[in-house]
Amino acid sequence: MVHLLEVIFVLVMLNNQMLLSSSRLVYCIKLVAFQGVILSLIPIILAHQGITLHVLCFATIVFVLKGIIFPKLLLRALRVADVKREVEPIIGFTSSALLGILILGLSFWISSKYTNIETAINFLTLPTALYTILVGLFLIICRKKALMQVVGYLVLENGIYIFGVALLKEIPLLIEIGVLLDIFVAIFVMGIATYHISQEFETTDVDQLNTLRG
Amino acid sequence: MIHWYSIFSLVSAMICAPFLKGVIARTKAILSGRMGASVFQPYFDLWRIFQKKSVYSKTTSWIFKTGPVIYFVTILIALFFLPLGNLPAILQFQGDFIVLIYLLGLGRFFMVIAALDTGSSFEGMGASREVFFAFFAEIILFLCFITLSLLTKVLSLAEIHFILSDGLWLNTGVVLFLVVVALFVVFLIENSRIPFDDPNTHLELTMIHEVMILDHSGPELGLILYASQLKVWIFGLILLGIAVPFDPQVGVFNVVVVMAGMILLSLIVGVIESVTARLKLFKISQFLIGAMTISMLALILALGGR
Amino acid sequence: MGYEDLLVVMLFVTFSFVLVCQIIRNEKHILSFLWIGVMIVCILAALVVFAVLKEGPLFSCGQRLYVDAFSVYHLAILMIVFLMSSIYANNYFQEEIDSGIFNIKVARRFGTLWFVSLAAMMLVLISNDLGIMWVGMETTTLVTAFLICPYRKKKALEAMWKYLIVCSVGIALAFMGTIIIAASAHKLFSSSTDMFLWTHLHRFGYLLNPGLVKLGFLFIIVGYGTKVGLAPMHTWLPDAHSQAPTPVSAVFSGFMLNTALYCILRYVLLVDTALGSTTFTHGLLIFFGLASILIAASFIPYQHDLKRVLAYSSVEHLGIITLGFGLGALGAVAALFHMFNHSVCKTLTFFCAGRIGRIYKTFDMNTIRGAIHVSPLWGAGLLACALALIGVVPFALFMSELLVVRAAISSGAWIPLGLFLAGITIVFAGVLHHVTELVWGNPQVQLENLYRTSFIEKGMIIVSLGVLIILGLWMPMSFKVVLEHAAQFMN
Repeated sequence: MVHLLEVIFVLVMLNNQMLLSSSRLVYCIKLVAFQGVILSLIPIILAHQGITLHVLCFATIVFVLKGIIFPKLLLRALRVADVKREVEPIIGFTSSALLGILILGLSFWISSKYTNIETAINFLTLPTALYTILVGLFLIICRKKALMQVVGYLVLENGIYIFGVALLKEIPLLIEIGVLLDIFVAIFVMGIATYHISQEFETTDVDQLNTLRG
Repeated sequence: MIHWYSIFSLVSAMICAPFLKGVIARTKAILSGRMGASVFQPYFDLWRIFQKKSVYSKTTSWIFKTGPVIYFVTILIALFFLPLGNLPAILQFQGDFIVLIYLLGLGRFFMVIAALDTGSSFEGMGASREVFFAFFAEIILFLCFITLSLLTKVLSLAEIHFILSDGLWLNTGVVLFLVVVALFVVFLIENSRIPFDDPNTHLELTMIHEVMILDHSGPELGLILYASQLKVWIFGLILLGIAVPFDPQVGVFNVVVVMAGMILLSLIVGVIESVTARLKLFKISQFLIGAMTISMLALILALGGR
Repeated sequence: MGYEDLLVVMLFVTFSFVLVCQIIRNEKHILSFLWIGVMIVCILAALVVFAVLKEGPLFSCGQRLYVDAFSVYHLAILMIVFLMSSIYANNYFQEEIDSGIFNIKVARRFGTLWFVSLAAMMLVLISNDLGIMWVGMETTTLVTAFLICPYRKKKALEAMWKYLIVCSVGIALAFMGTIIIAASAHKLFSSSTDMFLWTHLHRFGYLLNPGLVKLGFLFIIVGYGTKVGLAPMHTWLPDAHSQAPTPVSAVFSGFMLNTALYCILRYVLLVDTALGSTTFTHGLLIFFGLASILIAASFIPYQHDLKRVLAYSSVEHLGIITLGFGLGALGAVAALFHMFNHSVCKTLTFFCAGRIGRIYKTFDMNTIRGAIHVSPLWGAGLLACALALIGVVPFALFMSELLVVRAAISSGAWIPLGLFLAGITIVFAGVLHHVTELVWGNPQVQLENLYRTSFIEKGMIIVSLGVLIILGLWMPMSFKVVLEHAAQFMN
């Protein structure tokens, strides 16, 4: 069963690489949805006291929210804002892919410094978590379209979820549900904001939002 | 260490290589709805070409004449390092895969300068494209071999194949899978297969390898064609050795498994060639960078696992 | 019904007011309901405050909610700021209502978001569960985002987007910090629910893994510090506070920044117990405090927009408060006193600035001149509040800043003291320069003060300024006791 976790983490890593080098927004949203779906399998794999109804419920909620609802919200925002592709970002797509590998190496290096964390489930958990978090931050900082920043935020939250799995045996259900609810509201709000921005500025290019300075 | 009884692996490579090309061509034909030539057609083609006389242009020098010969010889020597199932390779020492990659590089170098020697811009263009893609292919090849060495803790190709067993696949399956994917991409590009290059076309837009050998004729052309077919065998064998774990109990049966695997690989390549189209040149470099990142990911995972 | 249930009732009532907002049909009624509802919650909160001051800390909801003197002090400030802003908001939107922009849909949304943000901030203050505290903080970010731009305007949208992204990232980092600190309790073998309870971690603080605790605190202070507006994470603050409608700016500067600082301080207590010494946390607090003061000081002289000056002033004052907390016991008392003073004063300043902006129809300081002639009450109010903010003598802020200086001297922190004094001097000069230009001089155009200021608003300003002056001259005994009670929890 430990190996299944490895497969999941490697899939997440490949997912992040593809996110870094893809310019089509619809494809990116689908990639994030896929990431959410494979992450929803983690509670089932890690169920310590067997697969209870509790665990199944939680996994289903994560699956539905991250795999279905968030992408739907984002695709809807995409449609009303009428945006298709990412413009050439600050760091080009090919360079982003290579930078992604550097970030991956960095996360492995940082994780090797913290091998004393006894609760780490698999040697890949902490590197994947750090890598996903850093890729999420990278997408937020370096992408110009508002919706790509929202995708980056989703990736960041996925990374923090894996981080929680790496460090803690179990996060209480109340907090997990609260976090998911917050992310839901966040995506909802960001989608509406993107719509307003596209109506007001006639573009969702965040670079154009530059009148407030100093 | 020299194992003389492994001459069988060399001989079987030399005999069976053109057969693979025939299988690929036949698969493509059948998938296009034609009957296609017989699978043994490449043998007849080689026989026919060797009978002809070479024609040399006045602008070429001795490089043009010797290029193909050196290319063929390097590929032949490279064959010495390949094991065949149970049989160890003829030559085997620590770090032999580095020699292998450099031999291939040497052959490619002479092909390129032979193409440049003709003075035609057509071949020059093909040569530059070939070298550009070979740059990525060699990096991926090196990264894959380093990953494999990290996993198996030996530095010889034949021994890597020997040690890659079921157990290792179960333990480090994910890394090996990534390596296989990366090596498959290298297989396609080194042998100038679609989606990177079309071996059948002679249009300027789509040629890379073909355009380099446009001016050769007679036995030299024969040597080049035969050497390309041997290259298919080399890369296919490297790939198979990793993808199909080696089971020492089965003995000679391994040879049969290898042969079947090569034919299967040729069928797969034929299917891929029929189904996909050639990528735009810009996309090829992006695709290759993607393959490079996959091999780097495999390397980092193998490093992180220690 | 014991006092514990009051906590739950308070939250419940605030949420139910959201539903009430949905049924009201008239915009003006919704605005009136805002301050009526907040008044009701105020009364409940006052009861809680008295209960805690009399009987000590309260637990509720199976240990998930917890109030002690520290949280109750913040709760009191929260209610004061919200009440004042609700009263002000009642009259502020008059012009928009008349022009039809502030229609019933916008009003309902405004009312809903207002109450939900109040509930979320209360939840942060009374929560014992660190995870729920985080959920509350994130909720305040999301809910207040649409308060920044109730109706679609370019600059407000831009400010809102920046606010959303920067604060969401900051709070996500704070969540990482929360996880790390919960993980540092692995030696405690606590159940998964206990791992996040503040009281539990505080009691067994000496068993926490010090390396992890340090790393976690770093994430916490950077993450929640984004919400506080500590430099260099303050970049969203000037935009958000200047583009939001004035009552919302007042709530932001007056209390929301303090909420985030409250979260950081809760963690400071944990980390100090775990590490056994305060040098690590206090060093970080001093660093970020000074950075905020200095960066605010370097930006204030170059501003054109009145509300942006006030926003940077918030950064500076939150920096002073953070610095105070980093300077030991006396510093903690000074910082808590300064929190109260700053919240009241900044709220008032925003009110005056908002009115003046209404009259002149712009916040551009190059156009506003002679405010004291055009509207004596608001012009003088703005002058008085600005003077209070920069620490002029009879006002209470001078006393609290003086206390911070004394705390710095007593703990021997000479370099921070020097930088602090340099920072506030520059701010003094900058703000004074801006304000005197605004308040005196010849108004270019003859403008009318279109809306009569209501009696309540006049009373509010005069009473609050009076309180600030009184506190500056003499501290009532009860207030001192409350301060020391609250500060006790810092060490």
